[in-house]
Amino acid sequence: MAAGPSWTLEFPYRRSLGPVVGEFFTGLRDGKVLGSRTKGGKVLVPPLEYDPETGEAVQDGFVEVAETGVVHNWAWVNEPLRKHPLDRPFAWALVRLDGADSSLLHAVDAPRDKVETGMRVKIRWREERKGHITDIECFEAV
Amino acid sequence: MSEETKTDEHVAFMSQMVNLDYKIVTSPVHRHFDEQMREGRIVGHKCPSCGLVYVPPKGFCPRCSVITNEDHEVEVKDTATVTSFTVVTPIQYQGQKERDEYVLANLLLDGADSSIGQQRIEGIPHDEVRMGMRVKAIWATPDERTEEGGGMRGWGLTSAVKHWEPSGEPDAPREQYQEHVL
Repeated sequence: MAAGPSWTLEFPYRRSLGPVVGEFFTGLRDGKVLGSRTKGGKVLVPPLEYDPETGEAVQDGFVEVAETGVVHNWAWVNEPLRKHPLDRPFAWALVRLDGADSSLLHAVDAPRDKVETGMRVKIRWREERKGHITDIECFEAV
Repeated sequence: MSEETKTDEHVAFMSQMVNLDYKIVTSPVHRHFDEQMREGRIVGHKCPSCGLVYVPPKGFCPRCSVITNEDHEVEVKDTATVTSFTVVTPIQYQGQKERDEYVLANLLLDGADSSIGQQRIEGIPHDEVRMGMRVKAIWATPDERTEEGGGMRGWGLTSAVKHWEPSGEPDAPREQYQEHVL
């Protein structure tokens, strides 16, 4: 098939975040990671409004957790797509930050043979943050 | 994303740009049409059964269920009659390039039996544009005739024609175009 003309259709969405994700993103912009605490005392990062185990509303307020954590699970991306957070091979990982009881999905920038479950990682912050999950540029090895 | 760059306000919104990238694979018939447009020729297919001329060519006659090809190619003129039109008021959404009102028309090309849509009319006050008005093509210079303007999938022309202007001829009588009014 011969190449034909191309064009791009864009949908510039502006999404409202609500009281929980909004607070989480405000925290990221300010360089800290916030979680919510369930009635049972577990810390959820990213924060949720409800305890996924019981369905109960979480406690009022937010708790700050560390910017270091542990890779709990991961998948290697050999050929990043245009909109992926990194332009070189990387790992998608579920990272349990120190002080949290749930995991955050983000990219880990490390060589393929260094990525493993149990790997210690820390946040690489973006310099210009705006209140978005991409304020975390990625995680890197501690 | 400007609303997200203020540094001390609570973050209440996020921008999410969804892009759909299209690569249009044009049919051989339309590709040939686009090539001919870049050469400055407007071509169509004349049905060997009923004799109707389709511009742009479809590769078949929908009335006769007959396949048409380059053997049935005919060149039509770059003059036309306005069959219907609209004055567009551009809303300033993201990506909008138009600022001022403009006119788009359906045109019946001389020598064609099918009309083309989305043709820009210039050189006349908008309230003087009318059905039956005679127009002529204003062609782009050869280096402005890009492939990107093609792929109209049979309902327009290409970037080879920039717009149309009144030709100065008397208006066409309604009987000549009334079957093509959309």
